[in-house]
Amino acid sequence: MELSLSSLKNIESNYLQPTKNPLNQPTTEHIEDATPILGIQHPSTIKTIPLERTLDERPVVAVDVSSIRIGETETGVLCAIRGAIVWKEKNRYRYQRIGPFPFHITEQNKKEIYKLFRNHHFEISEDPRAPSITNIQARIGNLLERWLQLGISCSAYGAIILWDGSMTAGMVDSPVDEMSRLLEIARNRLSIVLAFSKNTTLRFSGHKLTDYAEKAEPPCLLQITDFPLSSGTILLLGDVYVAKLTPGVCSFRLDIDRKVPRERGIEAVQSLLGSDLLIQSYPETLRLAHIFSTFTATEVIGIQRFIAQQYGLKIVMRPNVRRLLFGPFGKGAKG
Amino acid sequence: MRLYKKEGNSIQILSSPKDDVEKGDYLLVEDTNVNRKLITQVIDVQFASVPGLLEELLRDSTTEEQIYGENFDPLGVSSHINYIQDARMLLCKIRGTILNDKLRVNSSWLPSRSKSGITKISINSLLAHVRGKEDLPINIGETKDASPLNITAHDLDGRLNIITGKKGTGKSHLSKLLVLGLVEYKATVVVLDLNGEYTGLGFSANGGGNEYSDRVHVLTPGANFRVSLSKMDLSVILKILVHALDLPGTSTREFKRIWKSLRQQGKFTLQDLGEAIRKCSCNIHVRDALFSRYYSLANSGFFTDNDEVATSFEKLFEETKADGGALIINLKDVSSIDRQIVLEYTLGNLVKLLNQWKIKSVFLFAEEAHLYLRETYWEDIVTRMRHFGLFTNFVTNQPDTIKENIYRQADSIFLFNFTNERDLETVSKAARVDSETVKSIAQELPPHHCLLIGRAVKDFPVMVKVRALDIKTMGQTRLFFTNTDS
Repeated sequence: MELSLSSLKNIESNYLQPTKNPLNQPTTEHIEDATPILGIQHPSTIKTIPLERTLDERPVVAVDVSSIRIGETETGVLCAIRGAIVWKEKNRYRYQRIGPFPFHITEQNKKEIYKLFRNHHFEISEDPRAPSITNIQARIGNLLERWLQLGISCSAYGAIILWDGSMTAGMVDSPVDEMSRLLEIARNRLSIVLAFSKNTTLRFSGHKLTDYAEKAEPPCLLQITDFPLSSGTILLLGDVYVAKLTPGVCSFRLDIDRKVPRERGIEAVQSLLGSDLLIQSYPETLRLAHIFSTFTATEVIGIQRFIAQQYGLKIVMRPNVRRLLFGPFGKGAKG
Repeated sequence: MRLYKKEGNSIQILSSPKDDVEKGDYLLVEDTNVNRKLITQVIDVQFASVPGLLEELLRDSTTEEQIYGENFDPLGVSSHINYIQDARMLLCKIRGTILNDKLRVNSSWLPSRSKSGITKISINSLLAHVRGKEDLPINIGETKDASPLNITAHDLDGRLNIITGKKGTGKSHLSKLLVLGLVEYKATVVVLDLNGEYTGLGFSANGGGNEYSDRVHVLTPGANFRVSLSKMDLSVILKILVHALDLPGTSTREFKRIWKSLRQQGKFTLQDLGEAIRKCSCNIHVRDALFSRYYSLANSGFFTDNDEVATSFEKLFEETKADGGALIINLKDVSSIDRQIVLEYTLGNLVKLLNQWKIKSVFLFAEEAHLYLRETYWEDIVTRMRHFGLFTNFVTNQPDTIKENIYRQADSIFLFNFTNERDLETVSKAARVDSETVKSIAQELPPHHCLLIGRAVKDFPVMVKVRALDIKTMGQTRLFFTNTDS
């Protein structure tokens, strides 16, 4: 919150140019999308693991974070982040929304913000290279998400913790040590982390990994044997599965903490089947976390109004150069 | 408030939830750069169409029994989001412009969207702009901002007015208020009282007499309202026979002959008339036709051969000349045929007296006039009789019983609540207001509130809560379940 306020205090601009259709902007890098492509060099086999729903109900907790670009000022960009934690207990869902926190990021303050944010979340002191202004919004979102995941790992006991994304470590926002620590804390408190990726770039024999679940009988997991654990600095901290948990067209990449015995991991998925509502193979708790963190167009306008009013910015619309040049042909953002 | 859009004489204003603006309120759009103001009236208040609202509501709708939680929003951004969600769009109609403090009926001017300031304007300060000298005020009630609203007796003088609204909304109450308002200024008022509702006008709520007691004359046909043939003109009796009793042409000619013959003989009684018809050497069918009408007249109880008990209209009007007065023709419990006989007599005499300048002018209040006024009277009243000094006020809960051309000629309309689209469609044919205003505002008027349209409010439609009157309530519906507890 302090970081948000201090970043906003440095607004020296007189105007705010709102982002047109912020919800339709191409998504910038996000935890879920940040997973690098790992080639499966020597494919072995895909093994189907049928699942049975277990009736021992366990608490389910999910975390998700959204970030959005609000507009531009003369000196930088304005963005906002918000996190949501949803947990299911005794047939009721409870949520906690954190934010929204608007940030004003300029070339001058971007390094400082990123460093402070990162050092606050991760117990590492190395000086990171701040990302470009265009990417920093997603990076800050990722850092908040890791921080919330840490909080859940520390507070939940015997729970199924759901992450949005994968367990890929070794990237700027997911240092191996920190990621391992998150999982270890959860394990020590008898919780287990399941990470669901809506999009995966992993391919097997030229086909998308999730395509193999089309003909599988749900509920089941597909396990790829001999899946590579690392590629360069990138390390997978989880066993990779394809989860098809309910009938329907959807299946997801599912990472289960590698240090948890395989049987316990599968038991956790079976517990999830008995503890949470699943629609199109996706857990409701995680779906709600996504819904509660996502920004709507109304909220974007509300945040623009907040910033304009608090910091005396005048909202102006810059002429669309593409429209001016190409008229009705000037549609796309690029090209 | 910000000006958003203008199309024709409609404008849309973006408003915040904090702005206390409702349907019927007037707003002033002021462009100080050109010293010009636009007068607009809010005819509907809608939510502004904000993108993403549906998602927002869907998300919020989940946070009920099964899903609950809290927001950690230390910067208070949610209040701004709520503000956007609650933003309103005011749909307004342009009523005029003020240029250099002079009002013009002009909706073509387009004020600046970025520079214009928008403020609420009270009805009275608006009317002060457009009204000149305001003598003979009649207090109707109070406006939405709780200030008294007056019209002037001049607004009813020489005018055609319509009071309409659905049952139980307060039409008759307003009508009574106008009657007494006119009597106050020594006007002569005739009320065609279908249900005996106006018979208590001369009494206060507690049953005692009030300040109007001496000036309210209730005439009940067959009781204290009887007439004699001796004081009746041929034209009046012919109207009764032709229009109320449908006497055919041939029989009418024969009747004229009989009437003239009786006049020459100085015979004026009902009995003389019956005898003359009996002795008439005309076609048997004609005689039968005349006899049947004769018996209708005789059985109505409205006619008397005793000149002393017969009512003299002329005298009655003479009495109201000095201090004004209301003649209430109590048509309660009077059969349909007799009602028409009474009405033909009354209106025929009124026209005669007006023609002869024996009375200056009369304000006529007609409740559900379609039940007793023949078709041809409508246009006669609205067009011809108006010039003789008969100023009509129609009171009805069935607006489609009044012809479209009457709405178009109406000077003022006192519109109470209507929920039926068809009724509103009928009223919206009035020339003095746009149909959108009528449909939008009238549908939501609470009981005893009316929308004043037309000349009485200088063509600025105004919502008013009609004030209470200290008069004895009459004409209440008899209920079966009254006093079932006792």
